[in-house]
Amino acid sequence: MIEVEQLSKLYGAIPAIQDVSFAVEPGEILGFLGPNGAGKTTTMRILSGYLPATSGTARIAGFDVHEQSMAVRKHIGYLPETPPLYPDMTVEGFLYFVARIKGVPAGDRANRIQSALKRCNLLEKQNVLIRKLSKGFRQRVGIAQAIVHDPPAIILDEPTVGLDPRQIIEVRNLIKSLAGDHTIILSTHILPEVTMTCSRIAIINQGKVVATNTPAELTAQLAGKSGYELEVDGSFEVVRSPLQNLPGVETVQTAPLPDSTNHHYIIQIESAPGVDPGRDIAATVVGAGLSLWEMRRTRVSLEDVFLKLTTEEKAVESSDLPDNANSLKTTEPSGGEAA
Amino acid sequence: MGVIIGNVIAIYRRELQSYFASPFAYLIAGIFWLLGGFFFTAILLGPDGLIAQVAVRDQLGITQPPIDVAYQFLSIFLGVIGSLSLFVLPILSMGLYAEERKRGTLELLATSPVTNWAVALGKLLGVVTFFITLILPIMVYEAIALSASDPPVSPTVMLLGHLGLILLAAAILSLGMFVSSLTDKTILAAFLTFGLILLLWIIDPIAQSIGGSFGDALGHLSLLRHYTNLIQGILDSGSIIVFVSYIVLGLFLTAQSIEALRFQQS
Repeated sequence: MIEVEQLSKLYGAIPAIQDVSFAVEPGEILGFLGPNGAGKTTTMRILSGYLPATSGTARIAGFDVHEQSMAVRKHIGYLPETPPLYPDMTVEGFLYFVARIKGVPAGDRANRIQSALKRCNLLEKQNVLIRKLSKGFRQRVGIAQAIVHDPPAIILDEPTVGLDPRQIIEVRNLIKSLAGDHTIILSTHILPEVTMTCSRIAIINQGKVVATNTPAELTAQLAGKSGYELEVDGSFEVVRSPLQNLPGVETVQTAPLPDSTNHHYIIQIESAPGVDPGRDIAATVVGAGLSLWEMRRTRVSLEDVFLKLTTEEKAVESSDLPDNANSLKTTEPSGGEAA
Repeated sequence: MGVIIGNVIAIYRRELQSYFASPFAYLIAGIFWLLGGFFFTAILLGPDGLIAQVAVRDQLGITQPPIDVAYQFLSIFLGVIGSLSLFVLPILSMGLYAEERKRGTLELLATSPVTNWAVALGKLLGVVTFFITLILPIMVYEAIALSASDPPVSPTVMLLGHLGLILLAAAILSLGMFVSSLTDKTILAAFLTFGLILLLWIIDPIAQSIGGSFGDALGHLSLLRHYTNLIQGILDSGSIIVFVSYIVLGLFLTAQSIEALRFQQS
């Protein structure tokens, strides 16, 4: 439905996106995930035909977004980053206007508008001036204008930004309910959003698509980096090399437990994909005479995948990123401690 | 074709609706009507007004040349209304595109199956219609006053004068719309438009001081000269062509400027 090939966009000499390629199948929801400034909005704008690409092609429903812009415009609904609303119009009046310029036949307009209002839960607000609506309702009107002409493809640029948690859930459910009949591409920098709403994810960083897959497979791809975390009491050096030599163990790291008075250590072990060295680890630790206080599996969450793919080593030093950005140094409080 | 007309009408209705929903537009209209009424009274009935002048002439026994008060009044009054419009029109046109850019609704228009021309035409028709509603009450004043005149005023002169005013307004609004498409700051658009109109207004005296064939050609661009012709009841096809050219030029530049906006860095 949506095919993007080798898309690049330069602003002057600075590339906003480089060789972006992906495809969205009919009825699918693709999450376009990336940190701020990664080129999400640029890509959305190119897809909508608002910006021309410097090179590469994008096709929606078989039409080239630049060469056959008018045909593409009939086939898409587009919600830009800021919902394009006229504050002096009522919700219904605005949707009538959009239906007209999107080419909805006069006879269908009333029906289409009613169904868009219903879908976006706006029926009670249809005669209210947009100026008087709260942010969440405005966002819904923005989505309503994107679906009022029943387009086969819907492009949503950060549809949940600035909403409160309850509104976010509503908007996500709304988007999910649109899948199937519509092909949807939505951009976001919020990770749980894609896991909850999207059937596929494309992760973009610094203008390049670094991964495209389903949320499950993407996690599985990097699940090889899962492992164990142990809290032990005793001399760690005794077990270091035995642990390292266990089959399936890749790295062993250790750190003294924060505010520990009695030689408690945290051992973090990364294991190779497909091998579970859990039993051997426990046996080794106990066999070496150390007290094992806690042992648990550490799984790589999609968040770790995202951060791994979009964070360069040096960027990790910046303080606004979580501690577990590139290693598994989670500082979760263990058993007996209370904050 | 039908689709394009439908789009123009949709844009037109939205534009017009936004004027009637805006308290600011009513304020402008109020000020315009107040000043229009003031000048109307001053020119006709004021101490130096036309009726007073005629009375003085009668007292002095001057009968030659005869003075056609109704005709005199109409051309002077429309001249004043034209100048007054000079200040009002940039305010009407300033938001046409600047507001859309500021609100982000331009992105909606630019990604809808509507051509830039259709949008520009719809907007221009909308704002011209609003201007016509501004001069309607003033035409009522005129109709009341001039219905008493003997001999009656030639309807052709009446018609040409007001057609001239509307054409002048449409030309200025069209150029103002282009200026508005260049920026997302409405006030800046108003000032730039005002400067541009002023230039086109005074181009006549400049042209005369230059002289020669260049000056002559330049003079033809003057809005003032063509407007003055029309309100004096002189129908010159050249004047109509100049106004229409300005209108088409404004529409063309607007459509191009919106197209170019996509290729700019943003």
